[in-house]
Amino acid sequence: MNELVLMVALPLLTAFLLPVIDRLSSLAARWIGPLVLLLTAIIGLSAWSQTGSGAITIELGNFRPPLGIDLYVDQLALLFALAVTLGTLLLWPAEGEQRLRQSTLALLLAGSGSGLALSGDLFNIYVLYELIAVVSYGLAASRGTAAGQAATLRYLIVSAFGAALALAGIALVYQATGTLNLAQLAQLAPTQLNNGQGLAAFVLMLVGFGVKAELFPVNTWVPEVYATAPARVAGLLAGVVSKLALLIIVRLLILLFPQPEALTVMLVLGILGVLTGELAAWRARDFNRMLAFSSIGQLGIMFIAFSIPGKAGVFAGLAVALHHLVVKPALFLLAQRWGGSLEHLAGVAKGSPLAAALFILLALSLIGVPPLPGFWAKLLVMIHLLEQQSSLYALGAWIIMAGAALEANYLFRVASSFYRREAAATPPAAHRTGDLAGASLLGAALAAAVFLIVPLADRIEAMAGQAADRDHYIQTVNPEPLP
Amino acid sequence: MDTIIILYTGAFGLIFIGIAGIVLSRHLVRIIFAIGLLEAGANLLLLLATWRDGASAPIIVGGRVPALMADPVPQALVLTAIVIGVGILALALSLALRVQHAWGTLDMRAIRLRLEEEIDDAAGIEPPTSADAPAPRPTAPATREGGA
Amino acid sequence: MQRFTSALFLLGLGVLIAAIFRNMDLAASTPIVGDAINAAAAQQVGAANFVTSVVLGYRGFDTLMELTILFTAATAGGLVLGKPRGDARPDPEAGLVLRAGADLFFPLLLVVGLYIILHGHLTPGGGFQGGVILAVAFFLPLLARPGTPMSHRAVSLIEGLAGASFIVIGLLAMPEGQAFLTPLLDKGQLGSLLSAGSLPLLYIAVGLKVGSELAGLLAQLAATEASD
Repeated sequence: MNELVLMVALPLLTAFLLPVIDRLSSLAARWIGPLVLLLTAIIGLSAWSQTGSGAITIELGNFRPPLGIDLYVDQLALLFALAVTLGTLLLWPAEGEQRLRQSTLALLLAGSGSGLALSGDLFNIYVLYELIAVVSYGLAASRGTAAGQAATLRYLIVSAFGAALALAGIALVYQATGTLNLAQLAQLAPTQLNNGQGLAAFVLMLVGFGVKAELFPVNTWVPEVYATAPARVAGLLAGVVSKLALLIIVRLLILLFPQPEALTVMLVLGILGVLTGELAAWRARDFNRMLAFSSIGQLGIMFIAFSIPGKAGVFAGLAVALHHLVVKPALFLLAQRWGGSLEHLAGVAKGSPLAAALFILLALSLIGVPPLPGFWAKLLVMIHLLEQQSSLYALGAWIIMAGAALEANYLFRVASSFYRREAAATPPAAHRTGDLAGASLLGAALAAAVFLIVPLADRIEAMAGQAADRDHYIQTVNPEPLP
Repeated sequence: MDTIIILYTGAFGLIFIGIAGIVLSRHLVRIIFAIGLLEAGANLLLLLATWRDGASAPIIVGGRVPALMADPVPQALVLTAIVIGVGILALALSLALRVQHAWGTLDMRAIRLRLEEEIDDAAGIEPPTSADAPAPRPTAPATREGGA
Repeated sequence: MQRFTSALFLLGLGVLIAAIFRNMDLAASTPIVGDAINAAAAQQVGAANFVTSVVLGYRGFDTLMELTILFTAATAGGLVLGKPRGDARPDPEAGLVLRAGADLFFPLLLVVGLYIILHGHLTPGGGFQGGVILAVAFFLPLLARPGTPMSHRAVSLIEGLAGASFIVIGLLAMPEGQAFLTPLLDKGQLGSLLSAGSLPLLYIAVGLKVGSELAGLLAQLAATEASD
């Protein structure tokens, strides 16, 4: 199983060597990045079946945890490592004259994202999170416009602020326990972190890691960056990177913070996220910012879902997250040509019927119209929310309903304008084949999921059960007992 | 015990100054420095986590093993955190340099307004009339507050 | 009004931080992992400086990611700053004191930087600290004579190869079934220059990487300022 570390190491190695390779042959430099990602995806896929029965740990440097850093590979972690690798491959962001630097950053994104999904050490998670943050700054500014750079700068300030808070939270955890290994922290948490200091540490880390998960008060950067960055980069950030940050928060919540107040904080922030996101999306007048705000709303739903205690919450949240992981990148691929005012999109269905149909399929699923997967995901969240017999959770359920109504309103408004008789004065250019093929692939996956919904749900439930099982985590890593 | 209270006060004080500086400053360079202060506070907090009075550095010199050694882990962590901070600082300053070249200002509020305008322009949206305010934006305190 | 909201914010922030402070149990927990490392590091890693054992041994993966962050920041910085304009007029040459100082200090800084890198496993210091000194050594002449640009080809070559060699040293253990980043080579006599297995090699890679990265970043910033 040691070879799984190659999912992290190979992309980084290639990124380091890319300028050197480019000097030897620019053709090789163009193709080696995607090829390496394909290779690492195969490595990840070949380990997939082995993780079904139980998780695995990789002890880096051959040091037993908790002294060394370990990677924890369960199906959830491996799925996200694969998602970031394949997502980067699908949305390969290199184009134009800065192609070399963009390829380097894309490779770094895949490597660090895989590492983030697999890491089993609190400080290592912080370092990887910072790495993926720096990569995303570079990608977000890669268009080279002043607006893009200003948006990135504002993003950087929020993100650096959050990361420093997360570091302070890690310091509080370390002060209370003296260890950073997640498994050992899970052992010590019921006695040493189940107090005010633990809650403070959780809130600090929630805000810190929440920046990339588009959590309510620290998501000001989202509309600005998604409107100014290349659409493929926006798709990567909204689709994949935000889910990675969410995965970290959920892992920490399950393993480290048993107190119920932690769940309440997440629930309230999630509700506020849905409210603000969907309202702003409803008022947005251009395609990119509409998608950006809708993504804030969707992540709010995920935060609400994950705040349901126990396995049910992980299952429901995961369903919404995986759905969004497929839908949002596809929408941003369409935005590659359709970015700009919504009014310019009037009558585009005549010129590009496939793209219009794809948009409608994705939008319907996003709203949650049966029998599309988005419906089942939202239904799952609603059922488990109403099961909780608590007014705050019930409020969450109603807010999600209201959000869906808003979503339906603005997405239908856009979709119906596609079929308006009189076309806009300056219709957008036709989609490039690559963009349309990627979006179609994701749309086809979504459509196929309609027929596979039962086995898929079983798989996701098993995955959620594995991820929500603290004892399984502790036993798998089996940290050496220390005095 | 008293020493540690003073040290912790320093760490939390740096965090306080850092957050206040990020939220209340309008000048970009001040904000970037405030981030540095906040990071310094977090680093100090990390170093203090397992601080023990009178412990010596965890280095063996001439084969003598000290009786009470300091925890080497936070020292390694802080080294990492400082280097990360330097990298991000350099990138932030590069971005600030470009923005200053392009727009001739380092005032955060001016930059935000200009950014809003440019995005609307690029999207082909006319500026909103006074009756129709711009789309509501979920503002964090980090961007809403102005001041010195 | 604005002043009032600012004061209110400061008050709230202060109360929040004070609440966290008060809730803390200041009697620190025992560093269970740190003490275990202090007890085992001499035998497991073989470096007399236990902080180095943590940085390159127990938490070598962190260090690799940290190097990657520097590399990413330099790459992203290059992307942001772009090529400096060709018509840029560099600053005039500095005065005699700075020029003579730069000439005088260049070899000294080089020696000190290398010394600190090579002794990282024995004494305080190491690849990061030494690397910064190396970066200064190469940046100082740039301050003294802004007209003579640094060779970007050489810088990018060194940074690429140094970073890659860190990973390659980590990968070398894997064909024998060991995990990534397992320390290699004989541990040697504790406290001697040739000890701690592959750790000094890793630190040389770190030093070169940090040095080239920072020098490159500084030079890039300086060049952009000059083209203003």
